[in-house]
Formats: sequence, structure tokens, C-alpha cells
Amino acid sequence: MGVIEEVFSIDLPVGEQFRIQRCRYTPTGGETLKRISIVSGIHGDELEGQYVCFLLGEWLRAHADKIKATIDIYPAINSLGLDSITRSVPFYDVDLNRIFPGSKNDFLPAQIADGVVSAMRGSEIAIDIHSSNVFLREIPQVRIAKSQAKTLVPLANKLNIDFVWVHDAVTVLESTFAHAMNTLGTKTLVVEMGVGMRLGKAYGHQLLEGILNLMACEGFLDIEPLDVRMPIQSHVGEVAYLNASCPGLFVPAIEHCQMIEKGSIVGAIVDPLSGQTLDEVIAPIGGILFTLRAYPIVYEGSLVGRIFGENV
Amino acid sequence: MKRIEIFNFKSPNRAPLKVEGFLFGEESNGPSVAIVGAMSGDHINQLYVASRLVEYLRQKEEEGKISGKILVIPAINSYALNMGETFWPLDKTDINMMFPGYAQGETTQRIAAKLFEALQGFNYGIILEGRRDQGMCLPYVKLIKSDYEDIDSARDLGMRFIHFRPYSPIETVMLQYNWQLWGTKALSVVFGKNGSIDPVSSEEVHGALVRFMVKRQILDTAVFEGFVSNIIEPEGITLLKASRAGIFDSLVSCGTTVSKGDTLGRITDALSGEKLEKIIAPIDGVLTCQYAHPLIFQNSIAFRIASVELKKSITKSK
Repeated sequence: MGVIEEVFSIDLPVGEQFRIQRCRYTPTGGETLKRISIVSGIHGDELEGQYVCFLLGEWLRAHADKIKATIDIYPAINSLGLDSITRSVPFYDVDLNRIFPGSKNDFLPAQIADGVVSAMRGSEIAIDIHSSNVFLREIPQVRIAKSQAKTLVPLANKLNIDFVWVHDAVTVLESTFAHAMNTLGTKTLVVEMGVGMRLGKAYGHQLLEGILNLMACEGFLDIEPLDVRMPIQSHVGEVAYLNASCPGLFVPAIEHCQMIEKGSIVGAIVDPLSGQTLDEVIAPIGGILFTLRAYPIVYEGSLVGRIFGENV
Repeated sequence: MKRIEIFNFKSPNRAPLKVEGFLFGEESNGPSVAIVGAMSGDHINQLYVASRLVEYLRQKEEEGKISGKILVIPAINSYALNMGETFWPLDKTDINMMFPGYAQGETTQRIAAKLFEALQGFNYGIILEGRRDQGMCLPYVKLIKSDYEDIDSARDLGMRFIHFRPYSPIETVMLQYNWQLWGTKALSVVFGKNGSIDPVSSEEVHGALVRFMVKRQILDTAVFEGFVSNIIEPEGITLLKASRAGIFDSLVSCGTTVSKGDTLGRITDALSGEKLEKIIAPIDGVLTCQYAHPLIFQNSIAFRIASVELKKSITKSK
């Protein structure tokens, strides 16, 4: 049975506290220095991680004797946002994942970030589970900055995900939870899967298996490693971005997560007023459509899909 | 004055977003400056100052007083301004977090790219900024240390304070940093309270912009001298936090010179009315910023005091 603890609390103006809670599972012998943190809800409109937290908690409750080290589950970092369908920190309209490591001496979002870092500091591993936003649907993937690839890719390969995307370092991403924790020595993986404001049961179960496997491999659980899938590695190919060429209503022609050939039609941008098809979105390369737009209204430039194609 | 279209961006269902600029003078006559107004939908004060400046410059141009080239773009994100949103209404992204922009990228990256292209080649760049928190402040110059900043031109605004500080990671995707890197002596003037117009601050900023243009020989008119700006680095700012949450009642206004021991504000329990806290100045200085919402969060920054102690600030005369 896990122990629910409040790790950060701050008074709100009218009779309420903003709080961050975790559920801590420990071996029968008590807490260990060896610790892993499972995190979700940094963005209030991303719910896939909440379901994974539930599934993991359910598994741990049923297999308490298998726990070898401390396992912390933080399902709801931005609790104000989660309970109000708000991506950023309400009232301040600030993206919490652009304010890390935060500060005790700054405004509320920065204090929340500081509270998160303080609570998780010392964890050996952290897994930060995001959905996509409400606009895009993603296959389960881990995104890793190139500078962290050597350490993190082997861990990501244990997570039963479909894709490991190693990207160039961008300075603005130095303000993320993952960067802050990696800087502090906690190996932190960022999972993206599904779509904002929804949850997909299949993805949740897929990632649960990956987390159990990672925990088995890394000495947190006394179970045999699971038979997980090997993710596609981004370095073996290229990612093509499909941006809308004009505003309108994007109508997909194929399902998400399909293999497509170069030149095939991904979807159409149509004009509801005139009844005209304004443009067809054509695959510039062949490969897997690992991102597909879920929210149909597009402006020029709106991302409608991403294709990963292997180098030939 | 030429009223020019900076760019035009179509919407699925709304009328196109038309970003307009007002161009005065000619480049061949002297130095050039571009002034950027509201990039967010709650930067009403910035819109107000920019549009007022357009009208002022129109009159000065008729009088033959423009000796350089001036571009004023009062509003970038008029879509947000027209519907009470802060950021880009569809995806809630901040245009001022998208620079230098990317012409093949997402919508606000493309908007930033089009704007940034129009802002190239100016000697000076001034961004009228609102606050990024729930505060209000004395107008000040924000100048980040990119290694390309120009503090001398910042002094010519004659504003009371120049906040001179290293940039944070997120500022590498903001206009000031990128504009500096691309060769324009860019700075920001931060003022007011988001979503409102403060006539006193607006007047001060308007005067500073005119003074800047006169000092930099872009505009030929008589102006009063401004302040010899105090250059304040982060260690020169004292933060006063609310230790309790509740109803916040400020007893002072921005710009007030305060003494150690002065009561600056009070917090009362929002339900019981109990007096929870008095916020006391721990140091002598000038109150530069204060929280500007009647409900305050625990540990929110209630006040900022700029210290004039020699140890904590660097003051240089011109």
C-alpha cells in the first residue's frame, strides 16, 4: 500500500491550498535512497499520464512484495490546470514546463516548479509523461536532447515505446522539468503519447509494461524483465514536418500511425464556406505517420503531421 | 506618413490578420528606429502609447521635424486584442516566444518571421512590453546582456531605471535578444498593468520615446531632459513576498521612495477578514513594482524595491 504525502503546499487566496501530492511505495524494509519518480500533469490538458499513474499504482498495490526500492508517483503537478482543462498555470497563464528549475523567490508558477524539483531531487530516474497537446495525436515516444542521448537512449529503449527521438538542444528547453532534473543528476525521460484532453487505454497499458520493464532492469522491482518492443531510433532516418499551406479545415485521409508512401495523400484542407478543397497535404517522404493533427481548424503553418522515414 | 501593411495572415473563418506599420521620414536622412507595440492581447497600454506616438509623429512630420526613419507598429496580435485573449487565440502560443521566427514553421513562428523580417536594418529597436506577471510597475528599460546590447542608447530614454541583467533561457526566443543579435540596438520599455491604460505611465513612456529620438537625431524638437538613469542589476532589487494568501491592499504606489520600516501593504483573510500580515519595507529605496490583483497568493511577490545603496546598484552619470 502506498503512502500519500503532500510534498508542496501553498495557500490560495480564498480558503484553499494548491498542493502537490505523491504516492510513495517502499519495500517492506522501508524507504531506500534508491528512488524513481513517475510524473504527470505538468500540463493541465494532458491526461494520458494520469491513467498510467493509476495503472502503475494498481499494479504496485497488488505486487507490494516485488518492490525493491522507493517508487514515487506524482499524477498531478498542475492540479489547478488539470481540474479546469487548462494547459498552463491558471491565473498566471504560464507554461509550467518553461519555468524550471523555478525559484522560491518568484511568482507562483516558479514556486511550484521549485517545489517539484525539491521533491524529486535525489531520484535516480524520473519519467515525465506528457500527452501531446489538444491539436496533435502522437505515438508513444521519448524525446531526448542530443547532449543526453548517451545516458538516456538505453533507458528509453526499455520503455516499450514506439519511437526514440533524439533532437538538437534548444536553449529554450533548458527551462523544462527534464532539463532541470537531468542537470541535477536524475536521469529523466520525457514520454509523449496520445492527444490532449483525452486518454487512450491501449497506450496507457503499453507504457505501463515499459515502466515495469525499466524498473525490473534498473533494480526497482524484483520481477523478470518484460518482453518489450524495440523503438524506432530517430538517428537512422529523418523526420518530415507537414505544415498547413493555408487556413481551413483539415480532414485527414488516413489513420494515425500508418506506414505511408512518398506522394500519398495525408489529408485535405477544405473551406466550409465555399465548398472548395483548398489544398491536399502530400507526404514528402515515405515512412510512418507518427504525428497526426487531431484538432481540425488550421492556420497557415499549423502542424498537421510528422513522418519518420528511414534513410535508404 | 505612410501607412503600410507589414504582413497579412489569413484565418480559417475570421477576417485576415492585418499587421500595419506607420512609416515616417526617410532612411537617407539619418538614423532609423522601429518601435513595436502590443504583441500580446493584454498589452493595451503598449497599444495606446504606440498609437498616440503615431499621431504625434504625424504632426511632427507635417512640421518637417523628422530627420531619420521611424517605423511604429502599434499592434501585432490584434486577433488576441479583439477577443480578450493574451496569446495567439488558437494555440495559445506567445508570439514573443517565437523569434527569430521560422518561415516554414508553425503559425506563430511564421508570424514572428514576417515581423522580424520587417524589423531588419534599423539602427535602434524599442519593444513596448507589458509585464509577464500579475504586477504593475514604474516604467523602466529592460536591457538584457547578450554581448550586443547598447547601454548608451538606453540611457537616452532618460528613464529612472535601466534593469540590466543576464538573459534567461526563454529570452533567447524573444524579440529583444534576437534583434540585438541581428545587429539592431534593441531594448524593451516595460510599463503599466496588463489589460489597462495608466495615463501617468503612458505619458512618461511617450516622453521617453520622443527624448530618445531627439537624442539620437531622428527627431528635431525641443524636449526636457530626463533622468540620469540608475542602472540596476538583479542584486539591486529587493523582493518582498506575501507570507500569507488573501485580500491584498497596497498602501503605496509605484515610484514611491520608501524607508526601512514603512508599511507598504496589508493582507487580510478573504473569508474571516482577519488581519494576517503587514508588509514592511526592510530597506530604503524606490518601489518599482507591486502586485496588482486584489487576491494575492502565498509567497507571491508583493513589492519590489530598487535599492540605491552603492553596494547593490551601479549608478553612472552620462
